[in-house]
Amino acid sequence: MNRRELCRVLGAAVASPALSRLSANELWAVGRRAHARGPGLGFRVLDPHQAETVEMIAELIIPETDTPGARAARLPEFIDLLLAEWAPDDDRKQFLDGLADVDARARAASAADFRSASEAQRVAILTALDAEAQEARKAKADGKPHFFDHMKFVTVYGYCTSEAGATAELHYEAIPGAFEPCAPMDRWRAAPGDF
Amino acid sequence: MAAPSFDAIVVGSGITGGWAAKELCERGLKTLVLEAGRPIDPARDYVEHVPPWEMKFRGFGDRKALERDQFIQRHCYACNEYSGKFFVNDRDNPYTFDPAKPFHWIRGRQVGGKSIMWGRQVYRWSDLDFDANARDGFGVDWPIRYADIAPWYDHVEEFIGISGEALGLPQLPDGKFLPPMALNCAEQVVKDGIAKHFAGERVLTIGRAAILTQAHGGRAACHYCGPCERGCITHSYFNSIGVTLPAARATGRLTLRPYSVVHSVIYDEQRDRAAGVRVIDGQTREALEFRARIVFLCASTLESTRILLNSKTRRFPTGLANSSGVLGHNLMDHAMGGGANGTIPGMEDRSVHGNRPNGIYVPRFRNVKTPHPDFLRGYGFQGGGGRGGWGRAASQPGFGVELKRALRTQGPWGFSLYGFGECLPRPTNSVEIDPDKVDAWGVPALRIHCEWSDNERKLLHDMSVSGAEMLEAAGAKDVTPFVDDNQCHDVKNLFVTDGACMASSACQNPSITYMALTARAAAYAVESMNRREL
Repeated sequence: MNRRELCRVLGAAVASPALSRLSANELWAVGRRAHARGPGLGFRVLDPHQAETVEMIAELIIPETDTPGARAARLPEFIDLLLAEWAPDDDRKQFLDGLADVDARARAASAADFRSASEAQRVAILTALDAEAQEARKAKADGKPHFFDHMKFVTVYGYCTSEAGATAELHYEAIPGAFEPCAPMDRWRAAPGDF
Repeated sequence: MAAPSFDAIVVGSGITGGWAAKELCERGLKTLVLEAGRPIDPARDYVEHVPPWEMKFRGFGDRKALERDQFIQRHCYACNEYSGKFFVNDRDNPYTFDPAKPFHWIRGRQVGGKSIMWGRQVYRWSDLDFDANARDGFGVDWPIRYADIAPWYDHVEEFIGISGEALGLPQLPDGKFLPPMALNCAEQVVKDGIAKHFAGERVLTIGRAAILTQAHGGRAACHYCGPCERGCITHSYFNSIGVTLPAARATGRLTLRPYSVVHSVIYDEQRDRAAGVRVIDGQTREALEFRARIVFLCASTLESTRILLNSKTRRFPTGLANSSGVLGHNLMDHAMGGGANGTIPGMEDRSVHGNRPNGIYVPRFRNVKTPHPDFLRGYGFQGGGGRGGWGRAASQPGFGVELKRALRTQGPWGFSLYGFGECLPRPTNSVEIDPDKVDAWGVPALRIHCEWSDNERKLLHDMSVSGAEMLEAAGAKDVTPFVDDNQCHDVKNLFVTDGACMASSACQNPSITYMALTARAAAYAVESMNRREL
């Protein structure tokens, strides 16, 4: 089934008051296949060491729990794309400098680099960076974001907009089918308008 | 050259162009619709169900391309990675303005025009609006009153389908409504708070929207995915592609020509009438002429004005049909940027499911029964309540399991009120042809002069005061009034197709009035032709 057929099926739903959730999910799965992207490009900005460092930091920010973490969302690929095609030159430099600083902090804690630091050392480094980022934000609300704010932002957005994050964690539904205005709910279910 | 001949030419295929085409074709005229942009195929071009991970930049947009090609359009919320293709390329479509008085002209050039990504809010005007110019002396008096247009509002609303709540307010006449969408928990609290404290003078209701809440005219009810501006394959909101153009096509009298950039109107000096239009083919740049007995300009407020200004003749040296000298003057926008927000305590175990593509409305309450001492005319509020979603995790302290939990839970209920104020018609807010600028097709471009007057600034200030009052009355916490009166925003024009004929702007969204005026004008034109008066 292609997208044109999807239109036809949805058009045929005129007669029913609301689309059933089951059929909505089926239809969405069809749409997902119809729009699947080809394989990603190779890394263009991050070298293998930097990519691995990014992946480790991202997984510490959003770890695997009952749902996949940042690693499953392949954050380094997305961040590399932003650095290569989206980020202004000074933002890219700040980000790469930030990664170098993370290694420098690991060396100060007697590890070879962030990658080979212990779990406790890595958490300690990020805890310090997070506190510095909060301080910087308080001091200069409209200043340039701290490296760790930047890293956290791209991790959260990259994870939530990934297939793994959006489906497993946010329970993305392309076609909710109805609007419930004040439902008891303890779990976010995202729809296209949330992205 | 022997130009093909039609009974009618309609310039533009958007909100009003589609209506002109439908009405003229259904009344028996062989009609040519000229659209400057490309054709749209919903199955190929609509992207509302494409998930974010299939977008190259996940919805962030291609920053460099936006800054290079859409430096004006990107100011509109709807011009993002998904729907940016429905907005024009600003390098191909230049206009000029004083950098100290920026004006964001939001434009769509494709079959469907801006009806693809308009805001879908529809509010009838009342005699409070049609009388306004006569009452306070700004602008020229409207030649019609509510009674003249009411049957045409009925006609348009019954065909396109409007959901909303009837309120019986004289300043905001009720329409032909499908069942209203529901208010969410926070909106119900604010509605009750306003009702209790303002004794009917101020009222909160669900937005009146051109979005179906039940099947209508062969189109499906809304399925609440949310981002209508990306297109809608079920045609659940009104746009010309899914509603009016198919009706015109069904008559067998419609010819729709995309890639047809209208340069100017051909004026027949001897017979003192429009003979047709000059067109530049958007793809080949070939100059063409099309002739017809009548011409409808439905190209948008500013495009239709530009076409008239570019149609200079010996009799009309300052632009066609400009014997009054008013053409290009009295540019109006909505005064926006005033309002308030706050948080609504409680209801933390409640949320919405689905994205309702509609907000709330607070009809105008200033200068309705008693004159306000500080300003003329008034404003309405749009906005709504909602809980913070996953995006808030990006700015909260900490990392790890605790931060991840924020992704699946939600923040407190927030509530925002955004004022939409009426802009006074003023001759100094104007457009003219810039002698030094042409667009990618060689058509002379506009120079725009637009700024707020004291009256708009006072409206904006009052929005922040009255908005905060209402939120406080509803028990909101952290109420923050805001005013941003620096710019002549043009977000409103996103929803506009042909407003070039308007004598005032009211505070309501104008599109439904444009549609009703277009349908009325089409009926008048055909009746006049049948009586051989035209």
